[in-house]
Amino acid sequence: MTQLDAWLDALFAATTLDESTIVFLKGTALAQWVVSTPWVWPTAEALHFLGLALLVGVIGLLDVRLLGFMKSVPVAALKALVPWAVAGFVINLVTGMLFFTAAPDQYMHNLSWWFKVLFLAIAGVNMLLFETTQRSRMRAMQPGDDTPPAFKVIGGVSLVSWLMVVYWGRMLPFLGDAF
Amino acid sequence: MMELLAALEVSAFATWVREASTIWAYPTILTLHTVGLGVLVGANAAFDLRVLGFGRQIPLAPIEWLFPAMWVGFWLNAITGAMLFSADPIEKGTTALFMVKLSIVMVGVVLIPLLRRAVYSRGCAALAVTPLAKTFAAVSLVVWVAATVTGRWMAYW
Repeated sequence: MTQLDAWLDALFAATTLDESTIVFLKGTALAQWVVSTPWVWPTAEALHFLGLALLVGVIGLLDVRLLGFMKSVPVAALKALVPWAVAGFVINLVTGMLFFTAAPDQYMHNLSWWFKVLFLAIAGVNMLLFETTQRSRMRAMQPGDDTPPAFKVIGGVSLVSWLMVVYWGRMLPFLGDAF
Repeated sequence: MMELLAALEVSAFATWVREASTIWAYPTILTLHTVGLGVLVGANAAFDLRVLGFGRQIPLAPIEWLFPAMWVGFWLNAITGAMLFSADPIEKGTTALFMVKLSIVMVGVVLIPLLRRAVYSRGCAALAVTPLAKTFAAVSLVVWVAATVTGRWMAYW
């Protein structure tokens, strides 16, 4: 056993869901339906990747503006596309919860999944910070204005954390045992 | 053809991609393929949505860079896709779903310059969304959705 394996085991032991919760989730009608219907998992995976593209495409474009590029594009104009990113996020939240309910142990015991959740949380807090602390500055911005340093930090954190969400999500089957 | 695929399958590179017990082989190549998907399909979807009338206040001239971004995503995925193919060429080379996916991708690739020209060919002063541009944008959106779905399904069927 390598040092990494030992470290992972300790982490899993500390973070694992109660065994009875796992048994409960796997016993729900939803989990039974996902496991026993062959087309559900592949269809949910396809939707999960479409949601990814929609979210990353729209938020990535907004992040590039926050970083200070495309100065002639008003930030508020880009925000008109954000409902599409929210739609992508909702698709991925629903399909992700479907995967988790059907096979909780393969995520619960998977370091990749915890990293994915961590970066989702960072992306979420980062977005909330933007909406709560930078709203008036965003509204006051004129086309051509450079973005203040706070916008650049938030845009950079967003871009990196969504990339990390994709990275750790795709690594689920390789660093752990998820399919 | 089968001999060629068989030779590719046993090549040192294909064996490394398929069997090397490091995350830098198959897992990283597959992850880069997903990142390329995000860049290509994401940039394309954002542009298509703008052309189709969402976010009308976004000026068109400063978002033309989305096209080189799409090409970066495309070439990343052409390269990583060829590497992934090399790991399993006999199986993939004889699967109908893979052929369907490749055909869909080719249609999408042809549409990239067509859409760009339809929006930007008349110079900055006359930038406007024509019915032709809207048609290309709508077809692009559907085509890349289909490419993503068929690509993801290759893992199952």
